[in-house]
Amino acid sequence: MSYSLTVSDDIGNQHPRRNLILLDKAVQAARKKDQALPSEAEGLTAEAVSAYSEKMKAARAGEKEFQQGRKARQKDFLAGIKDPDKRIRRWLLEAMEARARSDFYLPLIDLDYSYELRYRENLEKADQLPRIAAERRQVKDELEAAKKALKEARSVDSRPQTQDFKAARKTRLADFGNDKKEWKKAYREGMISSRAFANEKREGMLAVRDEIRSLKRKLPVNDQRERVRHARHRLRQDARTRLRVLHSDLPDLRRKTPIEVKKQKAFISWLTWPLPGLGQLLLGQYAKAILFFMGSLFFYLGALPYALGRGNYRGKGIFGLISLARDGSRLDRSVIFMVEGVIAVILLLLGLLIFYQSFRDINRVEKKMIRGVRKHNWFETRMAIRRDGFPFFASAPAALVTIFIVLLPIAVTILISFTNYDPSHQSKFDWAGLANFKQIILGQGIAGGPFWLITGWTVIWTIFATSLAILIGFVLALLVNQDRIRGKKLFRTVYLLPWAVPAFITIMFFSIMFSPDGPLTSLLSSLTGQITNIKYSTWGTRIVLILLQGWLGSSYIFLLCTGILQGIPHDLYEAAKIDGATGFQATRHITIPILLFQTAPLMVGQYTFNFNNFSIIYLFNGGGPFEPSKYGNIAGSSDLLISYIYKLTIQKQYQGIGSAITLVVSLVLMFFAWVGFSRSKAFREEKL
Amino acid sequence: MSKKKDKALYLSDRPPLTPVKVVLLGISYVLLFFYVFVILWPLSQILFASFNGSHGTYIQIGSEFSFSLKHFEYLFQKTYFLDWVVNTIIIALATALLTLLFVSFTGYAYSRYRFRGRKASLMAIMLIQTIPSFAGIAAFYTLHSIIASIAPWFSRQMFLVLIYAGGGIAGNTFILKGYIDSISTELDDAARIDGCGNLQVYRLIIMPIVRPMLAVIALWSFIGPFLDFMLPSILLNDPRSYTLATGLHTLINDVRNMHQPVFAAGGLLTAVPIIILFIALQKQLVSGLASGAVKG
Repeated sequence: MSYSLTVSDDIGNQHPRRNLILLDKAVQAARKKDQALPSEAEGLTAEAVSAYSEKMKAARAGEKEFQQGRKARQKDFLAGIKDPDKRIRRWLLEAMEARARSDFYLPLIDLDYSYELRYRENLEKADQLPRIAAERRQVKDELEAAKKALKEARSVDSRPQTQDFKAARKTRLADFGNDKKEWKKAYREGMISSRAFANEKREGMLAVRDEIRSLKRKLPVNDQRERVRHARHRLRQDARTRLRVLHSDLPDLRRKTPIEVKKQKAFISWLTWPLPGLGQLLLGQYAKAILFFMGSLFFYLGALPYALGRGNYRGKGIFGLISLARDGSRLDRSVIFMVEGVIAVILLLLGLLIFYQSFRDINRVEKKMIRGVRKHNWFETRMAIRRDGFPFFASAPAALVTIFIVLLPIAVTILISFTNYDPSHQSKFDWAGLANFKQIILGQGIAGGPFWLITGWTVIWTIFATSLAILIGFVLALLVNQDRIRGKKLFRTVYLLPWAVPAFITIMFFSIMFSPDGPLTSLLSSLTGQITNIKYSTWGTRIVLILLQGWLGSSYIFLLCTGILQGIPHDLYEAAKIDGATGFQATRHITIPILLFQTAPLMVGQYTFNFNNFSIIYLFNGGGPFEPSKYGNIAGSSDLLISYIYKLTIQKQYQGIGSAITLVVSLVLMFFAWVGFSRSKAFREEKL
Repeated sequence: MSKKKDKALYLSDRPPLTPVKVVLLGISYVLLFFYVFVILWPLSQILFASFNGSHGTYIQIGSEFSFSLKHFEYLFQKTYFLDWVVNTIIIALATALLTLLFVSFTGYAYSRYRFRGRKASLMAIMLIQTIPSFAGIAAFYTLHSIIASIAPWFSRQMFLVLIYAGGGIAGNTFILKGYIDSISTELDDAARIDGCGNLQVYRLIIMPIVRPMLAVIALWSFIGPFLDFMLPSILLNDPRSYTLATGLHTLINDVRNMHQPVFAAGGLLTAVPIIILFIALQKQLVSGLASGAVKG
């Protein structure tokens, strides 16, 4: 990489080089490549370059001297400032110093852009600070005056005014009382409605209150007190706002003034990446350096030792993932080693993220500097962090919780599905490759045997239970929302109940009713004339479950459809009627399409909900009845995949197979969720 | 005006009923009332069972109804019902608060700021959420032991709260984000020009407008622990620390503790406040679910 002929500022404008030494190098490089040269570069002579470096040397010496004279100057300035306020004095002093500096740098601006920047910055300060000081002086004077006036107002006998105020208040209240009586009369006579009466009363009361308040404020003491408060507030706020404006004006200058640097490669970022924060320190961005050093501390004192096995609860950091406590003591449990291994990986990844961010940050700053863009000062960095960093800080706690509560368990589940974690390997298990997946796909073994049977029933269940609920809710909503049906409110309230009663209560109660000597069993037995025990019959249980879910799920669909039906504009129906449509046709061609269209995404949600509807299966019959000949000892014939997983992992300790099934099921569900999600309006319109 | 005259005149703006329509309307009413019966009969059985003194430990049909409060007495004296209520309410409140806290920040950030990885992270979490929550139960146990070894006061119930709140972050962020999206950004811009910072814009401008949606989110997070059976049954091991769902289940799942009418009584006490809540706030609750459905 070679020097460019021009430098560009942050906005992208190109500026000619002022540093003739660097320009000379750039010209040489350009000549080698046979590039066209701008006129001012064409005429560059060796004498000019050496003269430039002499001038620069002189300027640096002069600058040093000028800086040494600062103390003496300040004494002079201080003698000329006669304000009792400390801040005003400080600002005036700063302004005078800035004036002196701008005068000093003015003749040097053609030598280097940095001199120009200093000149401009100081000019801006010298311009604005005296104004800020003057404003503060004025507000202070106002405050003093107001304080004095308040004191005077307090010393004068204010009783006459107070009495006037009290009298005025009294008459006003009395007026209001009369008005109220009139309104009441009007209401009694039926001239105005009860709502209008209440409204008048409220409005009248508010008006009276406002009037009394403004009267009260006009009392001399209160008036002056307000003035004092106002002046105090301005004293606090005005200067702050002005200074903020000044501080945001300065970066503007920085952005418009380029910088010329000697270096050509972003080497600091490459040299310092192992220690985030160091590079920022070398570049002189101290606050950022502190932030990144904290990241370094996290990595070197937290993540790395943990990953190497220090400070673990029982495990051995990432090594635990490989060994799974194989050679550990009797008490070491493989699963703990695995979880801690995953935690170690997560911590390492977080650490690497910090490394990457730090490297990218330094690299960008360096590359920009080579192009001619000045690095940010602290004020700008702070603004940038506030603007761009806010979303990250705001979602950091949520992200951490999600990582450890949602992602970590999922990662562990995925890992467990590749092990032989089963009843005979509870304490120590080992990697087993794809054995679990093979078992479930081929339907082998105690645990994997009934997989396909259960999958079949799960699909049947999902389709029928959900469709039944949707059908019931749909029809009910259409029926209730007919024009001529009376008592809509009653129907809606009753139809809401299955949704409002906690499902576990209803399911458990139905379970009681269908138990071998439960009320519904005896009822069914007396109806059919033979002992009908639903819970002992596979298809009996299944049909009752589907009916029960229809009962439970219809409420929500009903409510949803009712809401949409009420929102269909009435003119659609009127237009249909004018065109000669019968009520049935209007329903078929207007109501049902709108309903279907608007509820479709929610219906998809209902299907996935039922696919994973654990409660109803587990609480109604515990997945039973059991058919060991077909289903083995673990699952029953009404078990869904979800309750099957529950039994495998929680009750029978076949965690390996359970995890494998979870993984398969989740992938399928995720696919459907993704399809629904990517088709949703929000996603397609790129509004996400 | 006399009423007779009214009858003589046809004043409705609907067309008069034809006989066919009368029949159809009649069928509609029959269907509607039939379903009212289908809903109310089982629920009324819970009601009767809980007050029927002639039931022993089992509920029998056809037995005489004699009013008695003995099942409620048993519930309060012989079971940990009050503990369960307190546990559930504490867990529910903590979940709601924690969820609100997380989601306020994330919803605001995802709606108002454009940053790298925004779309990808949201999408990823939405998809990962479809994995059943207890799939990682082995990890949950271990994770709890690890946290408890650092902070011994960290109970299983707190962990439950963390799982509920953490699991709800993605979905609720999505709902809130959608709601904040519908608010014009001009309001924020105006506030920013007047000197508001990021959090001030949220507190002073956004939060007052999204309060209804925050209420819905809080409400659903609050109701969740009342309805969930699975997670507490896995995570909690001491009957005193159970929530209502798991606690009431102990009254019917085990022959030794079997007290079906007492279960009915407890279920009744649990259901009544929730029913009132649902009926009073049905509109808000449905709107919350409907906007969450975009995720489906």
